[in-house]
Amino acid sequence: MNKIVPLSAIDDLVNDGDSVALGGGWFANHPMAAARQLIRAGRKGLRLISNIGSIDVDLLVAADCVAEVSYAMVSLEAFGFANHLRRALESGRVKAHEMPGLAMLIGLDATGRGMPSLPYLGPFGSDLIDRDPGLMRVKCPFTDKDMISVRAIEPDVALLHVTRCDEEGNAQWLGTIAPDIVMGKAAKRVIITCEKIVDREEIVQTAAATNLPGYYVEAVIEVPFGAHPCSHVPHYAMDAFNIWDYSEIIPGDPRLPAFVAQLRGETEEEYRARVVNSEKAQILRTLVDLGRSVTEVA
Amino acid sequence: MKVETHELMVCLIANEVHNHGGVVFGSFTPLAYCSYMLAKLTHAKDVTLIGYNAIDMSAVEMSYFGAEAAAYKCSTARMDALNEVNSIHLDCRGMVECISPAQLDGTGAFNTSLIGDPDHPKIYLPGQAGASDVAQTYERMIFYIGNHSTRTLVPKVDFVSGNRWKISPEERRKHGLAVGPYKVVTNLAVLEKEDEKRPFRLVSVHPGVTVDEVVAQTGFELDTAETVVTPDPDPIHLDLLRTRIDPRGTAKLGILGGEERRDYLRQIIEFEWEQARDYIRKSKRTLVSY
Repeated sequence: MNKIVPLSAIDDLVNDGDSVALGGGWFANHPMAAARQLIRAGRKGLRLISNIGSIDVDLLVAADCVAEVSYAMVSLEAFGFANHLRRALESGRVKAHEMPGLAMLIGLDATGRGMPSLPYLGPFGSDLIDRDPGLMRVKCPFTDKDMISVRAIEPDVALLHVTRCDEEGNAQWLGTIAPDIVMGKAAKRVIITCEKIVDREEIVQTAAATNLPGYYVEAVIEVPFGAHPCSHVPHYAMDAFNIWDYSEIIPGDPRLPAFVAQLRGETEEEYRARVVNSEKAQILRTLVDLGRSVTEVA
Repeated sequence: MKVETHELMVCLIANEVHNHGGVVFGSFTPLAYCSYMLAKLTHAKDVTLIGYNAIDMSAVEMSYFGAEAAAYKCSTARMDALNEVNSIHLDCRGMVECISPAQLDGTGAFNTSLIGDPDHPKIYLPGQAGASDVAQTYERMIFYIGNHSTRTLVPKVDFVSGNRWKISPEERRKHGLAVGPYKVVTNLAVLEKEDEKRPFRLVSVHPGVTVDEVVAQTGFELDTAETVVTPDPDPIHLDLLRTRIDPRGTAKLGILGGEERRDYLRQIIEFEWEQARDYIRKSKRTLVSY
């Protein structure tokens, strides 16, 4: 079955108020083109699920698409706080739901296994447990050992960016996968964006690299630089200068409305032409090539 | 040559990396990464390093842009996050975990979640990222703190993001958990908590720092009965760190805060960006086509 659609199909596949799991981790491989499309579509009230988020979550909050964020961590790391998220949480405009990092993965896994909940050896000392109705202190029925049970998490949509994919949605990540697979198996609808759509034959030849089979996937969208300004190894490193400029636009900054309006008013092709010219594309690729082991340096 | 604070901290943490088990690289923590690389190159050649989804990587040269790619080029396996959770994080195969919390108190509780009243926080911090979970199961838990003060080492954390459920060797053994230290490495000193009931022990103060200074800068009780001076790092470690592992000095990002950190980061990314430009110029590479 051919599941290839244009990026604009996201407008119909994601509704206001949906819970949306965002793949990627740190500054690696977040589904940024899909996030930009949510901004263009003017989505409101999204409930984001992010394991280790950064600019993906912060940008959607800055563009006022978000009502709630479930997260284990969201940070712009060395650049500083994810300020738009932080201010929105502090003001109460966006609801905060911090989860233990592994609890989130296990809650997603529960859905993927058709279970209402799954137990694990959780963070017994943490204040996060008793504040979260999705976490429960339980005993192992066999050994009486303490465990934390995590209620199943079922996102309405998972947005995942991959290196290559065929028209049926057989998806291959050649670099950072982060929580993508468990999100893909838990979500009601999985939207794959990919650097390149390839023939089934190419996937067959490299089947060991297929991490999510097509039967989980509803839509396949080709978007080169679909993770930009985050990294997509092996094709490009993160665009630190782009993230730098973004991180300077703090909440209440008079430049913010124009920044969001620009993203909203341009197509993804126009975004790419504006932000990733051929020289920059080559530098981002070279930065990947220059990463090396210590043995190579010697 | 004078040993800089971040270098001393890297070498101290490297000593905590033993020659077995797995070490999963956390969120962007270059200071801890450098320690892992240093250990892997010297006394812990058999430790399994896991960065991003790259399993069993060699030591890589620290760079802001290239470290992720490098991890994939020199590793023997791939795993997604959930597999890692099940086998490394939760089945006691994790050997050392390093985190840098906003607050830590005398019970061993750490806070990376929020400042103020938990029902109406004044500040939301980035979140614990899973440190609350792995603090239970990992053999060795190391906190590193670049600004040792009563603002970071507090009488009581505003919110317990996590704590080590069982700390003493007896209790950990009883619950089937790997036995190992619960330590704090700061810019001034090394502290260790050896059981649930006793206060943190002040293991050592760094050269030039007094016990009184550390006690004054710590918001909870310290046992100072056997405090010594932190030994200098092994010159071989220092040399490897400076010349092979971290020539750009990314580890320093781990102890800088706010604008100072941004300025330092800017220098690093500008340098690496120029280096890539130079490389393109010299190799006359053709443009990447998309």
